[in-house]
Amino acid sequence: MLAVIKKELKSYLLSPIGYIFIGLFLIMFSILFYNSIFAAGVAYFEYAFYDASTIMTFLIPVLTMRMFSEERKNGTEQLLLTSPRSLVSIVLGKFLAAMIIVLITVLGTLMHFFVLKHFGSPDIRVALCTMFGFFLLCGAYVSFGMFASSITENQIVASVLTIGVFILMWFLPGVSQEFYKFSLMYMFDHFPQGVIALNEVVRFVSFSILFILLTIIVLQRRKSVK
Amino acid sequence: MIEVKNVSKKYGDFYAVRNVNFNVKDGEIVGFLGRNGAGKTTTMNMITGFIEPSRGEIIVNGVDVDSKPKKVKKMIGYMPEGTPLYSDLTVKEFIAYMADLKCIKHKDKKEAVEKAIMQTGLDKVRNRLTRNLSRGFKQRVSLAGALVGDPEILILDEPTVGLDPKQVKEIRELIKSFRKEHTVILSSHILTEVSQICEKVIIIDKGEIIAVDTPENLEKSVETKQIYIVNVEDAENKFEEVFKDDTQIKEFKKIETNEDNTLVYQIELKENLPDDKDFRKNFAIKCAENNILNLGIKKEEASLEDAFIQLIESRQELSNEEINKIQYEKELEELREERQEKKEQKEAIKEQRKLAKEEKEMKEESEKENKDDSEGGEE
Repeated sequence: MLAVIKKELKSYLLSPIGYIFIGLFLIMFSILFYNSIFAAGVAYFEYAFYDASTIMTFLIPVLTMRMFSEERKNGTEQLLLTSPRSLVSIVLGKFLAAMIIVLITVLGTLMHFFVLKHFGSPDIRVALCTMFGFFLLCGAYVSFGMFASSITENQIVASVLTIGVFILMWFLPGVSQEFYKFSLMYMFDHFPQGVIALNEVVRFVSFSILFILLTIIVLQRRKSVK
Repeated sequence: MIEVKNVSKKYGDFYAVRNVNFNVKDGEIVGFLGRNGAGKTTTMNMITGFIEPSRGEIIVNGVDVDSKPKKVKKMIGYMPEGTPLYSDLTVKEFIAYMADLKCIKHKDKKEAVEKAIMQTGLDKVRNRLTRNLSRGFKQRVSLAGALVGDPEILILDEPTVGLDPKQVKEIRELIKSFRKEHTVILSSHILTEVSQICEKVIIIDKGEIIAVDTPENLEKSVETKQIYIVNVEDAENKFEEVFKDDTQIKEFKKIETNEDNTLVYQIELKENLPDDKDFRKNFAIKCAENNILNLGIKKEEASLEDAFIQLIESRQELSNEEINKIQYEKELEELREERQEKKEQKEAIKEQRKLAKEEKEMKEESEKENKDDSEGGEE
């Protein structure tokens, strides 16, 4: 698994993808932070994360769309799948590499926290709780994006599918209250209040595991129908 | 040793590979020969475990690919068709990644990567990005990826396609050097390549194996016409008159008039002539007798190309429906045999039970008699 993580990280950081993802997110986050502090006059670091979760709807596919689509299109999938490495280690390796990039991005937001700390006394526990929740949310996003990438060799189709499903999750709770429990964004709602609800953590983790497993099943299944 | 037993791969109603059977011994170089879309890549992909066969089994060095894929994959180095490479890695990084994927231990990795680089002549480009390499070097990098860690079996899918003649020669020499150390299966649709490199040729067409033999035997097996090319100087224009009624000649035609006024004829002999030496002798004598200067006689040799074309053309063209029908009947037959076997087993078990029961009854009866006897004695 380590070999796949190393290779994937190298690919993210040797190509513009990693920098576009981290840079674009931090720029947008800074604008949101500026808005919440100066325009809305609220001195809470955590508030910016509510809107940041919608930014991720559009940014996560940048990381995930190439994961398996590119390998399939270039034929390098054959190198991976004819190696003695198990599908589990390959899929987890790719997932964890993307999560490392996400972690670097989330940790980057700490600079905004320290800016705020210079002028006031924000609560570090609430900030960390929010960042933890945001990281879990991104994990769920990444796992779905990876799944979308495994079912098509076209990166654009993979990213459109990912964004489409995230947007559905975003708007469906507006149609009916029933959809609240299926919306990842609403699952994140309690974290910026400094509450780590176990059921929400479990739901995020379960969602991630579900789509990691589905990715493995898709790849395994393609061996027999390919 | 690679054993491919009754392997088929079906996509919907279409058989990409049908009932393929062959063995590859250790240290052998075997060539898969077939037209585009014949099923070469599909068969190779099934051996490497990249795709699963719909039916049949593949055993590599005694290990079943289906049940222990990890163990089999460790033994195989695979160079896929079209040389897929990671364009953002350098040559060395790519080979090192392949070594990692092949579970080569960290302490052996550096040495294995170096060896693969040196074996494939990539030393000068080791730090260049693979996307900036020429086609020939890309092919070498892909080969190095398959070779790293010295796998026992190398599977090379069209290793020389798209290369210039010099690069083709270099790659062929490299593959030849693997003889004895590695078992190699390579696919190609270039006949000369297969006849030059391989000890055994498997000809595959429309998903079926139509011949397995050495290139020499395949060439010999082809019933080619006995054709001679003769070069003569015929100042008196007597050639056609002299040979028109020759008993050995079926037909001849002039194919060329050289600048020095010598003529080149193509002569086809009648079929089933016992020996071609007679014709050469007769031809030379007749030429001498009729003042025709015989400048040379050469027999056209049968090539692997002829064998290939003849084998493919001699095959009966079957429609998809016919293929499915044959396959269905075969499966039905197998099922019947299986049922018959089970039935026989059941009957054997029944018979055994019956015998055991009878034996038991006899035993009980004899015990009873003994008992009665002993009771009678006591009385």
